[in-house]
Amino acid sequence: MEAITITLNGREVSGHTGMTVLELARESGVDIPTLCHDPCLAPIGACRICLVEDERSGRLSASCVTPIEAGMVINTESPKVQERRTTIIKLMLSSHPDSCLVCDKGNTCELRKIASDIGIGVIDMQRIPQPATIEEVNPFIERDLSKCILCAKCIRADQEMVVEGAIDYINRGFASKPATLNDMPLENSECTFCGTCVAICPTGALMEKQPVYRGTTPTNVSTICPFCGCGCSINLGVRDNRIVRARPGKESTVNHGTLCVRGSYGYDFVHSPERLTSPLMRVNGDFEAVSWEQALDHMSSELNRIKKAHGSNSLAVLGSSRCTNEENYLLQRLARCVLGTNNIDNSSRLYSAASIAGLGAAVGFAGSTNCLDALEQSEVILVIGANLPASAPIVGYAVKRAARYKGAKLLLVDPQQTRLASFAHLWLRPRIGTDVALINGMARFIINEGLLDDEFVTRKTDNFEALTKDLKKYTPKYVEKVTGVPGEDVCRAARLFAEATLASIVYGNGITQHVTGTDSVMALANLAMLTGNIGITGGIFAMQRYCNGQGACDMGTTPDLLPGYQSVDNDAERKRFADRWGTDLPVNPGLTALEVMEQAKDGNVKGICIVGENPVLSFPSPSLVKQALESLDFLVVSDMFLTETAKLANVVLPAASFAEKEGTFTNFEGRVQQLHKVIEPLGDSLPDWEIINRMASSMGNPMPYSSLQEVMDEIQEMVSLYQITDYRDSQTKDIHRAELDRDPLKKRRLYKGQFPSGFGRFSPVHYEPPAEMPKDGYPLTLLVGSILYHSGTGSRSSRSPRLRAFSPEAYVEIGESDAGQVGISDGESVKVISPIGEVNAVAKITDTMPEGMLFMPLSFPSTPVNQLFGITLDPRTKTPALKACAVKLERAEPHG
Amino acid sequence: MDKTPETVKPDMTRVAEIIDSYREQSWPLIPLLQEIQDEIGYIPPEAINPIARAFALFPSEVQGVITFYEQLYTTPRGKRVVRVCRGTACHVRGGKTILKLVKQHLGLEEGQTSPDLEYTLETVACIGVCALAPNIVIGKDTHGNMNPKKVAQLFEDKKGSG
Repeated sequence: MEAITITLNGREVSGHTGMTVLELARESGVDIPTLCHDPCLAPIGACRICLVEDERSGRLSASCVTPIEAGMVINTESPKVQERRTTIIKLMLSSHPDSCLVCDKGNTCELRKIASDIGIGVIDMQRIPQPATIEEVNPFIERDLSKCILCAKCIRADQEMVVEGAIDYINRGFASKPATLNDMPLENSECTFCGTCVAICPTGALMEKQPVYRGTTPTNVSTICPFCGCGCSINLGVRDNRIVRARPGKESTVNHGTLCVRGSYGYDFVHSPERLTSPLMRVNGDFEAVSWEQALDHMSSELNRIKKAHGSNSLAVLGSSRCTNEENYLLQRLARCVLGTNNIDNSSRLYSAASIAGLGAAVGFAGSTNCLDALEQSEVILVIGANLPASAPIVGYAVKRAARYKGAKLLLVDPQQTRLASFAHLWLRPRIGTDVALINGMARFIINEGLLDDEFVTRKTDNFEALTKDLKKYTPKYVEKVTGVPGEDVCRAARLFAEATLASIVYGNGITQHVTGTDSVMALANLAMLTGNIGITGGIFAMQRYCNGQGACDMGTTPDLLPGYQSVDNDAERKRFADRWGTDLPVNPGLTALEVMEQAKDGNVKGICIVGENPVLSFPSPSLVKQALESLDFLVVSDMFLTETAKLANVVLPAASFAEKEGTFTNFEGRVQQLHKVIEPLGDSLPDWEIINRMASSMGNPMPYSSLQEVMDEIQEMVSLYQITDYRDSQTKDIHRAELDRDPLKKRRLYKGQFPSGFGRFSPVHYEPPAEMPKDGYPLTLLVGSILYHSGTGSRSSRSPRLRAFSPEAYVEIGESDAGQVGISDGESVKVISPIGEVNAVAKITDTMPEGMLFMPLSFPSTPVNQLFGITLDPRTKTPALKACAVKLERAEPHG
Repeated sequence: MDKTPETVKPDMTRVAEIIDSYREQSWPLIPLLQEIQDEIGYIPPEAINPIARAFALFPSEVQGVITFYEQLYTTPRGKRVVRVCRGTACHVRGGKTILKLVKQHLGLEEGQTSPDLEYTLETVACIGVCALAPNIVIGKDTHGNMNPKKVAQLFEDKKGSG
């Protein structure tokens, strides 16, 4: 790039073409005040505070929108500049209330800061009356537009970063202000309360509602959001060991200054009064608070007794996709070395095991094949089985930005009308559970029309002939019959996907939680490989429900795989770990999570240790799980709360929250990110890694780690995926555990353009009619999924006062015609009944539900929808089908 | 956005047709809004969502454009729009009284539309024919040298009804 030299305040400085005066000044250490500028937003030159003078012409221009030109002589503090700046600030203050003393923005107000820098105290101008606060009932955001300076940052953040479009200017002149459609309160608009506008507002016009603390916090710590698998960076403000504020991390390459409502407002579960602060032990049927020594002594004597009497395999361990990599690594070592069993699994078995099996078999790499920035650069994005705006909002923002502003075409496959539908170029609505047929139909069309990437297929994949042969029957006509999607749309979608140079696939639990989940993932991998969209920019993106679903599997909290996806029956690998740990390791693969429950019910598993997981809610058939756990000789649970599962335990250990510990999470991209300790653990609670360490010691088999750093060192040594990340160094940013070249984005390649094993393998898969189809007496199909205002089974989000206040109870979404047939009106209490069980919920009648389909959120502990599900497992991964089931609908109270 | 009772449902099928006819155009928003207003008489708020969808805009953005321009309306307007001039020349020659009289005759305040959708009353800053002050514009016709008698004649049919 060409270098351009200008004179800035009498000093020669150089920048490159396309830089603005403001950017160059900031880079050169010259401070120019701004109010409407933000690096995450396109500059608009609205506030005029950043005026500078070109001394050659005497012209004043807004530096944020003025590109540098050779020979410019810029003065940022000339008398003319200062005079104008002072006048503008005075004008702003003349229409600003004198409420600085009681304003929450305090000394973080940018308007106040600039005014005080200039030295403006009294305003000698006529005051302009301003509108009053807007009455809003939502528990998150408060708008006081009398403090609005019309910088449009909130509007631009809403439109450019989050792409929600809830607000824009209304009216003009003195009457203009940011407003929702029809000037309604935020809760009656498209607003999703992501908090991005609150974080970016320079004054107190947009504030957090009822803040715990008003003013500047003495400590601010950056860490990683503990909810979904996006892995956003959040900055937590702390006062008196209490988190009082969360703001998006601006520097983060994941969230780029945005968050969602969970990240911005959901952290308050940390300070829930329900937090456990000391170990509990069951004495004569009731819990008693005891010391750590008592709890651990009891635990170790019981577990050792069971091990001695019934053998190691009568014990099982359940890890968590919400715990750190280090904790999961220690936990599997505890299971394998101390307890001596491979009966260890984690909750991602319930939703993402299909990704690991499917992608592992096809691509040779368990996880997403590229990073989020690359997704945003794609020309075509296929989103299938993922309601991104609810389950992975930050990925949703990226997809929406690509579709609205970067010319990408969104190919949406979803029977339900999600918020992405209005951004879709083509929206296909297949019947539930028919994804394999649809994807195969697209693949067949691509092969038949010669749209495939020949070179890629020939040089980098194998088994192509078998695939071609197997796809023959998936004609558009057949696909239309199976899926209900018009054959011509299938062809259009296939052509669109194949003809793009850079195409990406995003999928979520709508794919993986079906019985045929692994097949669908393989079919998607086939599609990506046919069109050469793996390895180069583009790729496959597997969403994760929880913050560390990817990491938990990477760390080997799985019954058949050691850390780094090394099979337990691989002698060489097992020996490598056995040598490192100085003990023999069990050879046979252990039981998966669901099998553990079945064996427990049958009396073969007698002791279970659960860390950070709530199977009574998250597993199918809660009554069976409960029965299984109740029939155990001994159950120990480590959790932050007395969850439905912990209530069944003999010993409950109080775990610290994400904000009280160090460690790393691996997000859906495969990016390994550091957690930082924000506050001290509450009460006697301890981080899970320390709890696991203490468990091992008390069982008489201590693990040789004196600090977390030693665990990290060992992971880096033993797990090849993590060797390239340098993740031990907390200064390292943007670390991806796949070997992505650090080239500019456009050229980024996974494993230097090769598959890990050299070849991607096409795996022909066939459509099987789903077991979840409507049947006699159960005419409707119920879809279950996550919603924006809660996370997972809700054990944390339901204890967040604000999230709970906004979304307090479970509901069932019903289409208008189905509701009419049963005679149900909006807001009425209804029963949803499956062959397995029933739950009550409030009816919510919408026009977005197709006929014959219902939707229920899974996140309400008081309405456990999993009661409706039986245990139907994916034959390959033992993942239960938890996405859809056949149900019928009844009024809770019959008429009369 | 002033409040006037809505008596007739807007023809949304026609709105949809007009939107469709602009699909292929670049920068269609303002001409489209103008055409809808010409045909329907105003821009029905129900049209905002379909317009936003058709042109990949946010509904709030479309509302922003409509409310920015004085000549775009989201409520129905009378068949005859009466604009009383409040310019300096008209003011000096009694424009204020003329406005008061028009208000009396029509039974309307500034910005209001009669429930039968016959009249809408507005004021205007200057229409450029100060020599004829005070002035009233009804629809596209300008009426100069106004006085109470002439006002009464102009609104004869409305007499007593307000």
